[in-house]
Amino acid sequence: MNSRFTSLLRKELLDAVRDKRSVMAGLYYAFFTPVLLAVVLTAVINKATNPEDIEITITNGIEASNLVNYLSDRGISQGDDPDKLKNIELVISTDFSEQLNRAEPAEVTLIADQSEDSLRTAIARIKRALRSYSSEMVSLRLISRGINPNIINPVKVHIQDQATAVSKGGQIMGVMTMLMILSVFVAGMNLAIDTSAGERERNSLALLLSHPVSVLQLVMSKTVAVSIFGMLGLILTIIVSKFVYPFVPWQELGFSVDISGSFILGALLAGFSVAIFAASMQLFVSFMAKSFKEAQTYISFVMFVPIAMSYAATLDFAVEELRWAPVSGQLQALIDLAKGKEIPLLQLAVSCLSTLIISLALIFGMERLLKSEKIVFGL
Amino acid sequence: MISVSNLSKKLGEVQALDSLTFDAYDGQITGLLGPNGAGKTTCLRTIFGLLKPDQGTTSINEIDVTKQPLAAKQELGLFPDPFGIYERLTPREYICYFAELSGLERSAAITATDKVIIDLQLADIADRRCKGFSQGQRMKTALAQAIVHQPKNIILDEPTRGLDVMSTRVLRDMLGKLKSEGHCILFSSHVMQEVASLCDRVVVMADGKAVAIGSPQELCDQTNQTSLEEAFISLIGTDEGIAA
Repeated sequence: MNSRFTSLLRKELLDAVRDKRSVMAGLYYAFFTPVLLAVVLTAVINKATNPEDIEITITNGIEASNLVNYLSDRGISQGDDPDKLKNIELVISTDFSEQLNRAEPAEVTLIADQSEDSLRTAIARIKRALRSYSSEMVSLRLISRGINPNIINPVKVHIQDQATAVSKGGQIMGVMTMLMILSVFVAGMNLAIDTSAGERERNSLALLLSHPVSVLQLVMSKTVAVSIFGMLGLILTIIVSKFVYPFVPWQELGFSVDISGSFILGALLAGFSVAIFAASMQLFVSFMAKSFKEAQTYISFVMFVPIAMSYAATLDFAVEELRWAPVSGQLQALIDLAKGKEIPLLQLAVSCLSTLIISLALIFGMERLLKSEKIVFGL
Repeated sequence: MISVSNLSKKLGEVQALDSLTFDAYDGQITGLLGPNGAGKTTCLRTIFGLLKPDQGTTSINEIDVTKQPLAAKQELGLFPDPFGIYERLTPREYICYFAELSGLERSAAITATDKVIIDLQLADIADRRCKGFSQGQRMKTALAQAIVHQPKNIILDEPTRGLDVMSTRVLRDMLGKLKSEGHCILFSSHVMQEVASLCDRVVVMADGKAVAIGSPQELCDQTNQTSLEEAFISLIGTDEGIAA
């Protein structure tokens, strides 16, 4: 009984390892996803921490040389280079200095397309600079009239951030964790299709079922083989992440991202249940397909569910129930672990258990499928 | 010994098998002869328990296929059509894998694989991956898979399809050898000459029924014809779907 399972599993793995497409599918994802994320994050952080100068058109700047200097101290200036010049115009009214002297609101007009995404941060920075210039003027006017400028700040807000350096990186860790969990789905996918729909397409399924092997053992061996591939994908993703993420300049954002030993252990444990679920789900779907291509189509539909669930888990407004659901429950527990919080053990246990129960149901479902002549011969 | 009794099976709207009854005995080659669509493959699939009969029974060495499928399959070797070769495995791995699935321990399976590779003169390709094999090489690999565990009963589905003369001879010699060792061999075919030259008994099938059973000579006598082909045509009443 057991030796047949070993034979089945040995063949599945041997066949899989020799299938270049299956192996590459896992390798590409495991290698390129963390690298790509690290490159993108490095670029984003560099841009956020070193804001570049904004060159705009300032009309009638001569009227408000003080304001123009103030803006230029904050990296906003009249530009000459047409390549760098942003399509933003700041028009200073002709009687700006007069209005200012009479203590009337001195008018400036900001002309720009606010729906243009590329201009949005620039517009916000210009607005912010104008506002602070304005409030500085208020303070100066009050002082000149012998009034304490604090009178216009009836409430002063102090913010004490309790976030630790680790927890500040939590959201980014959330995305990284999601990419790790998804690696389980991606790494085993091609093998799942090859060993089910592919087996049927190559006409070996009926031959296999003609041998004195229990269908349940056959299904289990395929599920285990695909799960092993999924886990290898996860391990590889973790290893690459561990080496690549330290190169991102996190310190610029005032936090650190550390893939710790306990996180790796947690990811492997949670990943184990997800890997079995991914394998049984992908096999179940591809056994229903008549060909490799058909299976690919089906799987791409079904893959949407775990991707959506894990993405939802990383969002702020994720509902509390998602903490108990399969896949997203494990992911949230891992994100908590990454943030250095206490791990919600009960929720983790429940989501792992529900994941395994669904996998078992899928495995028994596959056993029924393979006992159906309609499925085996595509009648 | 393979026993098929009163077997009926409907596939969709088609009555693929209709009260089919015949026996295939040990030490004999039994041919299932019939035009395309007569129900030969359906019959073989039912013997393997892959299709469940609507009525009737099949038994292998007295073991009922529907009641004890695993025990019944243990007594069978299958040469399928198409072959179902794993292209990324070598014939040695492929044969050994199915030997283990048929119930041999790993060490016994390795020994049995070595033996069948010699018997079928597969040694030169045994450790090459099956991808790119010729039809003859595939046939030998599939045949080795079917007989590696020395099953008492061997079933072949259209075994000579697409084979050249040399490959057909290898197959024919092997079947003769297995017969002399006392195996029960059942094969389906729609090729007259093959059946006439190989079979001890012929089951002529049409529309899911056995219309006549007997040795090629008996069938000729029964229909007053000189050749099996003529006998066959007069038995099924048409020459549709027959390859000479």
